[in-house]
Amino acid sequence: MLSRLCQRALAPLALRSLAPSLSAGTLQVSRQFHTGQQCLAPITPLPEMGGKVRHGVIPEEFFEFLYPKTGVTGPYMFGTGLLLYLVSKEIYIITHELVSGIAIVSLIIYVVKKYGPTVAAFADKLNEDYFAHALACKNSAISSLEEAIESEKKEQSRVEGRKYLFEAKRNNVAMVLETNYRERLLTVYNEVKKRLDYQVALHHLKRRKEQDHMINWIEKSVLQSITPQQEKESIAKCISNLKVLSKNTQAAV
Amino acid sequence: MIPNLFEIFATPYLLKMPLMWLAVMMPAMVLFTPSQHLVTGRYILLKKWTMKQFTKQIMNPLPTQGHKWTVFFMTLMMTLTSMNMISLLPHTFTPTAQLALTMALAFPLWMATVIIGVLKKTTRSLAHFLPEGSPTILIPALVVVETISLLIRPLALGVRLAANLTAGHLLLQLMALAIIHLPTPMWPATVAVATTLMLLTILEVAVALIQAYVFVLLLSLYLQENI
Repeated sequence: MLSRLCQRALAPLALRSLAPSLSAGTLQVSRQFHTGQQCLAPITPLPEMGGKVRHGVIPEEFFEFLYPKTGVTGPYMFGTGLLLYLVSKEIYIITHELVSGIAIVSLIIYVVKKYGPTVAAFADKLNEDYFAHALACKNSAISSLEEAIESEKKEQSRVEGRKYLFEAKRNNVAMVLETNYRERLLTVYNEVKKRLDYQVALHHLKRRKEQDHMINWIEKSVLQSITPQQEKESIAKCISNLKVLSKNTQAAV
Repeated sequence: MIPNLFEIFATPYLLKMPLMWLAVMMPAMVLFTPSQHLVTGRYILLKKWTMKQFTKQIMNPLPTQGHKWTVFFMTLMMTLTSMNMISLLPHTFTPTAQLALTMALAFPLWMATVIIGVLKKTTRSLAHFLPEGSPTILIPALVVVETISLLIRPLALGVRLAANLTAGHLLLQLMALAIIHLPTPMWPATVAVATTLMLLTILEVAVALIQAYVFVLLLSLYLQENI
């Protein structure tokens, strides 16, 4: 009753509105379990192998304890003597329980001898699997972190190349601009040349036309100015010239 | 002098102090030690592995609401197994052979499953009284039979465990008694009885494990019907 009152005093405010019989119980419900270590004492390290025993149940230390005084057979003499004492004084009475005890103990011994190593190997394998899994988790975490470090370092080295990257980009852009400018310059030049060529061709055409026209007009005037008398005289002159020439040629030959 | 064979089932007393509570608690205290280490030795490791397998086996068919009962069922199984196994050693007391203990476990737990079923899924739990696909003409008889089967469940649960263990231990004691008394008149019979005793011991070990498992399994089945 008193403990219940104390528990009710400890209960949070919301729970105090409940009836006293309930609030003590609900405190247990509202308390969280397993939030931390139950005992803060340091954990003793677990030994890797169990203590050495002889005949399955008697620790080796007992034999070592008796060895200096009694030698090797000491503990066995002690055991036999103890058993005989218990049986002869009827402290331990031989009943049917002993027989059933022998049956179950022999069964236990047989099972342990036959299946012990297999079960032990299985248990060790379970532990090993657990360890391997934990180790794999640890290693994968480490390797992923190492990869992260490597990639970070690579990124950091890339930062230094940034200057060259921008330089190259700047060069590219300048080249493109220059190319564009030259192209435009060429276009301008071509256009201007086209116009000038046109003017030159026009001029030539005009001159040629004038020349042709002049030649035609001169020819026409000359042909009109030639009278028939002049024509006869020129023909006669030509014939006389030819005769002279032919005479000269005959003379030369 | 014929010893009273049923003396082994009498509640132990030491100087008028009842030791029943010690007999019930001792197996669990002795056999099941907690460990603070993350990586344990072979014994605790195997125990953990066994319990995990049994937990998966028993709690898998249950719906999620039923998983609240996991800790309880597994603890019950561990307790019953340890009590049964330790009682096989000579000069030990079998708590689970006492009807008081088994009925005290079976009856309230069965009642809990029935109450859960009636409160949460009234129609469904009542529907269990008539199996599906039963012929119409048999319905009245079937309902009566199913009701009786439901009501007999706690009795069956408790008595099954107690009777199995009592019978097994009694047989072992009888055979041992025969071995003690037989060699003088006829020793070949002793050999035969000794062989039978060995086989019976093996059977008793199996029964000890199976009965605990069956107790918890049946409870989980009753829970499955009602949750």
